[in-house]
Amino acid sequence: MVFFALARASFSRNLQYRASHLLHNGASAMFGFIYLSIWIGIGEGRDLGEYGLSGLVSYVALNQCLLWVTSFTTFGLGMPQLVRTGAIAIELARPVHLFYSMMSREWGTIAYQLLYKSLPIYLLYVFLVPLRLPAGLAETAAFFAALLCAAYLALCIQYLIGAVSLWTTEAMWLHWVNNALLMLFSGFLVPIEWLPGWLAWLSRWSFYPSLQYIPTRIYLGMDGIAAVLPSLAWCAALTALCFAATGAMRRRTEVQGG
Amino acid sequence: MTTLRSVRGLIAMHLLLIRFSFRSSMQYRFNFWFGTIASAVIASVEFSLLAVILARFGAIQGWTLTESAYLYAVLVLAKALYRSLASDVHHLEKYLVSGDLDGLLLRPVPVLLALMTRNFSVRVGETLLGASMLAYSLAALARDGAIELWVALPLTLAAVVNGALLLFGIGLATAAMGFWMTRIEVLQNMTEDAAHTAVRYPLSIYPGWLKALLSTALPVAFVNYWPAMFILKGAVGGWTLALSAAASAAALAAGGWLWSRGLRSYQSTGS
Repeated sequence: MVFFALARASFSRNLQYRASHLLHNGASAMFGFIYLSIWIGIGEGRDLGEYGLSGLVSYVALNQCLLWVTSFTTFGLGMPQLVRTGAIAIELARPVHLFYSMMSREWGTIAYQLLYKSLPIYLLYVFLVPLRLPAGLAETAAFFAALLCAAYLALCIQYLIGAVSLWTTEAMWLHWVNNALLMLFSGFLVPIEWLPGWLAWLSRWSFYPSLQYIPTRIYLGMDGIAAVLPSLAWCAALTALCFAATGAMRRRTEVQGG
Repeated sequence: MTTLRSVRGLIAMHLLLIRFSFRSSMQYRFNFWFGTIASAVIASVEFSLLAVILARFGAIQGWTLTESAYLYAVLVLAKALYRSLASDVHHLEKYLVSGDLDGLLLRPVPVLLALMTRNFSVRVGETLLGASMLAYSLAALARDGAIELWVALPLTLAAVVNGALLLFGIGLATAAMGFWMTRIEVLQNMTEDAAHTAVRYPLSIYPGWLKALLSTALPVAFVNYWPAMFILKGAVGGWTLALSAAASAAALAAGGWLWSRGLRSYQSTGS
């Protein structure tokens, strides 16, 4: 099956760099540690609502682990580079839909990052921070459902960023803006109900909470499986958008030379 | 006299190369302006995260919103200055991996100067954001009588310039490691990205070992925290400013030494 062949290929390609990636995890864990220090600094002697200090510490620690699945996906799924070299025309001409082939490859990368990046950092935090273990089997299953949606959404967002590069030649800035907005609106550092009025409103009506806030709350047992519904709706909406973008890309691409 | 003339020559060359680089980036006008706006958006989103926390909880370990804005502004301005002046030094890895550094070696310009002026960007967005945050913070603190503006302002500007030199020294030392390691992304992630993120927040929130690390081996705390402890809080003596200058001198010396050693042992990627 095309899906598995492409996913496996990108998984193996990533595997080549695993030693360097494991080193990278040290830096990533360090970032998480900075964020944890902020909350530990604030939490002393203050009421942190339903989370409590230990809950909030687990919340921030888990969010840091999830970044590798929900945020550090391949920039534009590699499409800006294809646009630059002109190889995008070949990709569009393949008998497999562009979105499907790009998505299949990215799932390999996501699976790799889950195993070799998120998991080691998660284990480190479970022993050192400590990050709470999930409440039970049902919560774990619901968490993985939410995480699956989050990974798919992250992939769709990168596909759209990649598609933009067909018009703008450069999309790196869009990628960085997306990362910055994710930090604020996904509840990554501050749970979204603590954002001031209009920021909380913006966040609630965006797809960002589906990336971090929803999976993490489910993991901590604060929300049930029903919380995944908005994520599912966003998955459907962004899929439609990705297909529309592909159509526009086909019309946009010009093949020159013979 | 000859040294003076050669320094003047280098500065003239620097300005000329920057003009070339600027003209080439203006060929992609849309990207230039989009990038400028985007970097301001990114920096303001980063700060608003901290602002949201402070607005809700008041202060972190004795640092209020206005004081934290000061720390953030000094860091953003120093970093913008550093990255404008040193531009592609941060991207040395790209040159090492592709072998593009060979081309620079052939040019009648010092390699470091060539890298410093390639892909020049003014970082207008971050500079404007940093300057307005600094103005807000200093005005508010002066109104409350916490600082004397005519003393704090020049000291702060000096701290920004000193901070830029310090960040440049650390960036240069990290980049120079690339001559031996080739891949330096992970190292940069630690010494630059993580370190800059850490000092966005008051140092007092961290455990002792991390405070010590950020004030000695990787002295980024001298960019904003330690100068602010004197300029804003008066909690430490004026010697911290001298110490900050010493830290940047040490970082620059280390960076320069590693760079010249590294460049000498450079072996191209060629086949």
